[in-house]
Amino acid sequence: MELLHVFEWFDQSLLADAAKAYGGVFVLVQGVHLLSLALLGGMVLAGDLRMLGLLLTDVPARTVVAATQRWFSVALGLMVLSGTFMSGAVALKLYYSEMFLAKMVALATGIVFFYGIRGPLFRLAADEPTAGAAGTTSIWAVRLTAIASLCIWFTVAASGRWIGFS
Amino acid sequence: MLNGLLLDLARWLDGQAWSTALHESLYAYAWVETTHVLTLMVFLGMLFIIDLRMLGWAFTSVPATTIAARLDRPMMIGFAVMVGTGLALYYAIPVRTTQSIWFRIKVVLLIAAGINALLFRARLRAAGDTWGHESRAPRRLRIGAALSLTLWAGVVVTGRAIAYDWFDCHKPLPAWIYQVAGCVDELAAL
Repeated sequence: MELLHVFEWFDQSLLADAAKAYGGVFVLVQGVHLLSLALLGGMVLAGDLRMLGLLLTDVPARTVVAATQRWFSVALGLMVLSGTFMSGAVALKLYYSEMFLAKMVALATGIVFFYGIRGPLFRLAADEPTAGAAGTTSIWAVRLTAIASLCIWFTVAASGRWIGFS
Repeated sequence: MLNGLLLDLARWLDGQAWSTALHESLYAYAWVETTHVLTLMVFLGMLFIIDLRMLGWAFTSVPATTIAARLDRPMMIGFAVMVGTGLALYYAIPVRTTQSIWFRIKVVLLIAAGINALLFRARLRAAGDTWGHESRAPRRLRIGAALSLTLWAGVVVTGRAIAYDWFDCHKPLPAWIYQVAGCVDELAAL
């Protein structure tokens, strides 16, 4: 019930008024959201596929992990900002949307997983002489983490698109 | 003349059973569109990394030619899926899409991005490996990368705008918009 009040308040906010009133701005922000998704997806793919040994295999894992994490954070920031603006236009609809709930759960999982598990594990594995093959990090832990990461961010993107269909 | 031909083609496609089936399907259209959007992460994601490297904003410790060479294949796979799903989306709603001003701008931007990509590849080959370890690519390649980012951003925004009906032919609009959007019947009725 309290959550509904938050969505009702958001629906009446100045940000929501702006998102509803200016269609052209809304489309531009949607564009920023999609471009951020592309940037975020590219960084996730490059990092995960590198740790799976499928992409950029001749580039040090440490370099790929560091570069992709930096730009991932930029993309995530842009996605959250643009997504918040977009939500203002349909705040009450989103409250009742199961797909929106699915996306938010997936997004929260993705953020916690990225910064709490994937990042530390990949950095640890990347610092070892042969990433994951020897030392303290299990190669299977690294691979499973990469696959889980790909699945989570696929879910975020797909459920986000399906909000529009629901 | 060209608008008439394009509209005739669109109406012919629209009359096909498969076009109607895809448009009216419960899940197929949504999944095709979802795939089209998700492939952005593969195609544009890889393209962003290459362009950011050329501009000296990412992966600066890795030779730019290595980044471009290694990411080319996944980028082109993503591009192929995007083109395939994009054609399917056009096939599902051919008449409205043909007469969408946003779709027309998107196609122009796509052509421009394609030409830019061809020029970029030619310049990349011509530049050789001598600069690969520098943090920024030569000026001509940087311009190509910046242009690439700008054009593809335009493609994404205009692609998203196709969903909106602000300039659809059935609405009262200035004659020049009818002309640009290819609203053949509305122009004839003026």
